[in-house]
Amino acid sequence: MENKKLPDVLKKASTRRDFLKGTATAAGTAIALTAIGGIVPKKADAQLVVSTAPKAPALAKKFLFAERQNCTGCRSCEYACTIFHNKTVWPAMARIHVMKYKDIIDVPVICWQCDDAPCIAACPTNPKSIVRDKNTNGIILNEQTCLGAKCLKCAEACPAKVVWANPVTGQPLMCDMCGGDPQCVKACQEQSGDPQGPCLMANPFGFGVNLAYRDVTPEQAGKDLTENLFYPNVTGKRISVSGKKAAPAKKKKGR
Amino acid sequence: MADFKGGCFGKVLEIDLSSKTYTTRPISDEIVQKFIGGRGLGAYFAVTEYKAGKNPLDEDAFIFVGPGPLNGTACPSTRTCFAHKSPYTGLMSHAETGAHFGNEIKWAGWDGIYIKGRSARPVWLKIENDKVEFKDASKMWGKTTEETHEMILKETGDPYVRTAVIGPAGENGVPVACVVVERFRAASRSGTGMLMGNKKLKGISVRGTKYAVPVADNAKFLAAAQDARERLIAKEAWQGIKRWGTGGLLELKHYLHGSLITKNFQTTWYPDIVKIGGEEAARRFWKRHVACNACPVHCLKLGVIRQGKFAGLIAEGPEYESGGLLGSNLGMNSLEAMLALIEYADALGIDNISTGGILAFTTEAVEKGLLKPADLDGLKPKWGDGDTYMEMMKKLAYREGKVGKFLSLGVAKMAKEIGKGAEAFANTVKGKELAAHDPRGDKIRAYSYCMGTCGGDHHEGQGPKALATTAMADSACQCTFASMLCWAGDTDKVTVNMLNPLMGWNWTTEDFWKACKTIFTAERVFNVREGISSKDDVLPWRMKNEPLPAGPRKGAIFTADDEKKMHSETYGFFGWDEKGVPTEATLKAYGIDFLIDDVNEAKKKYKL
Repeated sequence: MENKKLPDVLKKASTRRDFLKGTATAAGTAIALTAIGGIVPKKADAQLVVSTAPKAPALAKKFLFAERQNCTGCRSCEYACTIFHNKTVWPAMARIHVMKYKDIIDVPVICWQCDDAPCIAACPTNPKSIVRDKNTNGIILNEQTCLGAKCLKCAEACPAKVVWANPVTGQPLMCDMCGGDPQCVKACQEQSGDPQGPCLMANPFGFGVNLAYRDVTPEQAGKDLTENLFYPNVTGKRISVSGKKAAPAKKKKGR
Repeated sequence: MADFKGGCFGKVLEIDLSSKTYTTRPISDEIVQKFIGGRGLGAYFAVTEYKAGKNPLDEDAFIFVGPGPLNGTACPSTRTCFAHKSPYTGLMSHAETGAHFGNEIKWAGWDGIYIKGRSARPVWLKIENDKVEFKDASKMWGKTTEETHEMILKETGDPYVRTAVIGPAGENGVPVACVVVERFRAASRSGTGMLMGNKKLKGISVRGTKYAVPVADNAKFLAAAQDARERLIAKEAWQGIKRWGTGGLLELKHYLHGSLITKNFQTTWYPDIVKIGGEEAARRFWKRHVACNACPVHCLKLGVIRQGKFAGLIAEGPEYESGGLLGSNLGMNSLEAMLALIEYADALGIDNISTGGILAFTTEAVEKGLLKPADLDGLKPKWGDGDTYMEMMKKLAYREGKVGKFLSLGVAKMAKEIGKGAEAFANTVKGKELAAHDPRGDKIRAYSYCMGTCGGDHHEGQGPKALATTAMADSACQCTFASMLCWAGDTDKVTVNMLNPLMGWNWTTEDFWKACKTIFTAERVFNVREGISSKDDVLPWRMKNEPLPAGPRKGAIFTADDEKKMHSETYGFFGWDEKGVPTEATLKAYGIDFLIDDVNEAKKKYKL
């Protein structure tokens, strides 16, 4: 399966030093040009400079974030996730979800890559059937040793409620960060644009925020967003427009 | 089932509400190559199973809920189609809706849901993958669409289920009743709600986890779908829709196109549009953009009313149609009151468009003195009077009193009942109210109204080619915004590029056009059997005789020449004769020769 493989950029011999060198060359040239004539290099020139430099590997993105109020509920993240992992579109197999809250809010449900990984702590097998990939921060499942449907202690332990059972094998679906380049983020960024910015982001650094927010369940997030967005209706309750409770189907007398 | 290389499972879920049983109805690749799915498959079932004059309210009449082959795949912006014989117009009809409902049907392992029979007591259907449960809906009966939707979610205990429900209007047999999907979307123009109510089917919930749509050539298909998606993302014309939804068109059609309907099509110039249009809604109302499946456009706008009588009301819209019909067409100049009308219509489960047409027609009749308040149980409709309109809506949905029964007839029959020249301002085509585009200002829209299968529908495609591609889009269940606007000119190539690797076909673009025309012609045969011909493919009197009094298209009129051109272009493109009847050669060429006898019989019967 593809998800076991690391993306090419990480396997390549090019090291972090190469990467820094590459960016330094490109950035340096740009600065030099600007300094000399005060001319900003044209786009084509800049591309030319970069293309001659050694190809820079992307820094592994280790943490997912969601700008929740930007979610439109299009689910392209779920699509991208299953296209990457399963080569097809199958949201029940996704490691990211979009949950409807009270019909009015779409909540992105993502793995927060907790430092203490309650899912791993909860795994009862020895050795653990889920481990963290140090390079990418993704959680990798060992399908051979995982107890599957009869256990799912990891799903129970997940504070973000992102772990679902695989509908075919019963084993948990763990966000493996697609080997350091999360596809959901790419899809979300592609979809977004004026006037709606992207919802999903990935960053090499967690800033501890990932821990602070991890206990926010999807329901809680939905509640927060409703409060934020739908003031004065802070609970998102349904209001009967006619002012009365909708009348029963029976006809009233005299009408 | 083995018949398919991909795209379809080869099985349609057949539900019999009379006996509360369900079976699998196989479909073959041969049929799907001709009729695709969704709207086309519904038309196929109708032309093969129904005889002319079939009563759509019979117990064995069907509703086909059809996703198409593209639903549930990597293809962006897919929709769902409800196809059946309309109890409102008596014609073949289809109503499309957005949201995720159709995809969920596919992921539950079905190519569609074919519903027939009639339950003795109210039921709702719970579909979870292969499992179907008939649940008691007696507690939901009489509830609004939103309440029903909430109750279903509560009972399933799963926030990920997708629902389609009817409101009180459907239960009470109002012919303009709609099906509301996932609270804010509606499949509304064909009277589907009335059919469901007649079958005592209050709602459907679907959750699919077990299946993924099989694909014949995965790598190629994913590339084609990505190409389609990138075209959507790159399309400039969408930027406005992204920002203002179709609500932004309200201003556009007022200021520039001269086709914003106003006060029952009396004019297209409505300066008050600035008080209820897209920009006003953006300023004071909208809070969220909501999208369908993998769609970059998020055209649905959700908002909350912040002050006044309706403070706290969370509603969707205005879209162009709802803002036109329940806004400018009713002379509304309060954004809040208009949104309340839109939301109330959704809650009651009545079609925004037809309801707006009915209310506006009644108002004009009162204005002209053809109707007295006594005829309307004392109600006095007046342009811009939201409260009275709301009361009328309620009467309509519950068919309450004399006025409720009268309004629920629909404009065409109301005009007949009033007489005294009321037909002159009854704006219907084939018995259905026109949508929010005035065909005097937007002449190409007349194709959609007149030549489309359902009649009076804004959504059937502008021009012969668009009529054809829309037939395909609704059958493959692709958003017509995508197929018509975005891939314009390339619609055939983009669709074929996706369908070929998905289904394992070797289609050329010619096959694409043939399939489009086959579906559209099959629907036409159905309508010809019901007595439709070129005499019905015409606009109402007002469009042809009253020049627009103001606005950018002042003086415009839909002339007899325009009509002649429309007929000859469309009939010629699809291979129909000058009376709008598909010829024998055409039916043979499309491979639907089993309909030749039907056509000949209808020709004899209606002297065509």
